Amino acid sequence: MDQLPNVDLLEFEEEAMEPDGSVASPRSWYNNTLVVAALVFCALSLGFVGTIFWTSLPIWIHHGWTLLTGKGWTSPNGPFGGLPMIAGTVETSLLALVIAVLIGLGTSIAIVFLLPARLRTVVATLVELLAAIPSVVYGLWGLLVLAPWMETTVNPWLNEWPFAKDIFGSPGQEFGTSLLLASIVLGIMILPTFVAISREVISVVPQDLIEASLSLGATRWQMIRKVVLPTSRIGLLGATFLALARATGETVAVALIAGSVANVQFHLLYPGTSIAAWIATEFGESQSNEIAALMALGVILMALNVCLALISRKLVNRQRKLLAVS
Amino acid sequence: MSELTELQTSEPSHEMRAEIRRISGESHARRVAVSQVMVNLCRVALAIAAVPLVLLLYQLIKNGASQIDWKFFSTLPTTPSLLSPKATGGVSNAIVGTIALTVYASILAIPLGILVGVYLAETESKLASLLRVVAQTMAGAPSILMGLFAFSFIVHDLNIGFSALAGSFALAVLMLPVIMISTEIAVRSVPNTLREAGLALGAKPHRVSLQIVLPSALTGIVTGVILAVSRAVGETAPVLLVIGGGFINSWKPFDPVSAMPLAIYENAKSEWPAQRAQVWGVALVLVAFVFVLSLSARIWATRKQRIGR
Repeated sequence: MDQLPNVDLLEFEEEAMEPDGSVASPRSWYNNTLVVAALVFCALSLGFVGTIFWTSLPIWIHHGWTLLTGKGWTSPNGPFGGLPMIAGTVETSLLALVIAVLIGLGTSIAIVFLLPARLRTVVATLVELLAAIPSVVYGLWGLLVLAPWMETTVNPWLNEWPFAKDIFGSPGQEFGTSLLLASIVLGIMILPTFVAISREVISVVPQDLIEASLSLGATRWQMIRKVVLPTSRIGLLGATFLALARATGETVAVALIAGSVANVQFHLLYPGTSIAAWIATEFGESQSNEIAALMALGVILMALNVCLALISRKLVNRQRKLLAVS
Repeated sequence: MSELTELQTSEPSHEMRAEIRRISGESHARRVAVSQVMVNLCRVALAIAAVPLVLLLYQLIKNGASQIDWKFFSTLPTTPSLLSPKATGGVSNAIVGTIALTVYASILAIPLGILVGVYLAETESKLASLLRVVAQTMAGAPSILMGLFAFSFIVHDLNIGFSALAGSFALAVLMLPVIMISTEIAVRSVPNTLREAGLALGAKPHRVSLQIVLPSALTGIVTGVILAVSRAVGETAPVLLVIGGGFINSWKPFDPVSAMPLAIYENAKSEWPAQRAQVWGVALVLVAFVFVLSLSARIWATRKQRIGR
């Protein structure tokens, strides 16, 4: 409390307070400044959505559904088909999500319940630092370290398995860049994000519940499985959607290591691309028509992301209310 | 004694308890074994998660440290040729560009972000709750969309061209929601008793807000600002589209500039081994930059907790 600022006690202010005790009276210049700032932000966010949509509008009118379902991308004048990028986005981010959630859930449980208390805060800080590493650094690591390793070691090894060729395909010289590698690096990238949130969700499960179940003779795993996970399931789902939203929007890492080839590709060892990565790789060499088409891809990405963000927000809020009640 | 036991077991609740004890005794070994296996699986998951991240940091430091010398910071990049394949020069343009972009973006985003954050915290209106949802959605939006926005608005519509200004505009749009949300949380966490005390002393509402609430919330606001800056420093996608990749050291807002993330992105695909090796140095400097910023944000945050107590 030593931080309390000085307020001149003797200075008497003429104007009376609002009877309802509202903090900012509607007439003050200060309040007007705040409202103006809010309106500026309002205009900015409208401009954000509006500009991108407006620039892509001619392409939507001219090409219509081809942008969602077409398979080829021909610069500079089209046709512009978005299916390869949409498929690539879905494949890479779902696979990355599976990797991140499987490993991340175990990791958060281990951090909260299994690590000694002193290590816990250190590891939590480390996880948050790792979440702050710029994605281009993950991309660099994937391209210069993992890709050569995939090409010389993993790909030949995978191809010796009986059905691997049918599932993954058998690539030749692609320098190791592939949808599979992009998914793995994406998974590693979103892991700290997922762990940071799910660790927090798990650690706010009321201590009473945990102690009650342990005192009834539950083993540690029973306590986690029957008490902790059910109590925090909605928050964990929210963390999952947040991680998914991050994976779908990731740009440069995928642009560097997915290989930038616009094909609908279900064999994961072949190169592919994603919406965001395709915008990044194609933008530099594009003319007005193609730029508008890339903006249209941006609109698709935005719609996808807004859906995921709203779902995750709803889930996290519900979890908060649930715990506030109990 | 035996009579007593008989008496007890004849009661239904005691019978039930004995039954439970019998069942739990039977399944005890199995339950403990399952628990052991699952708990160890969680430990394995922690180990698996640690391996790639530790490996990444190790390789970053190992490959990056050898690239960094005085020339790295002070000279402009040169393109290697067959005669001198190792002549990569330095990356001063990227470092200058990153600092310029971050400073301009901060000037654009910090005042507006704090003002809107205070607005969200102190008003209960439909507009406020709408803006809150918008801010949270924008905070998670793919950063490449900010690049598209800056391109069509600054580069194309306003006809300013590829410039540091366009890049910092994109970064400012990226930083705004982060600053807004953390400011709102910080202002809301100021105890209402402080506000009421100020009002009871006869201070006008704006004085209460400026002289009592904002100073008390300052640590939280600063933490949010630092986190936003550290996120903006490392972002590649938005600046990739709009800053033009200049090859000179320029602080002017209307000049095309380079940036560290952009240098990494461009040179990672280079055909010259010396350039690919140098990228590790840039990445190390960038990560060090980001780590220092996020660590200082954490230290600010703990300072806040100490004062709050």
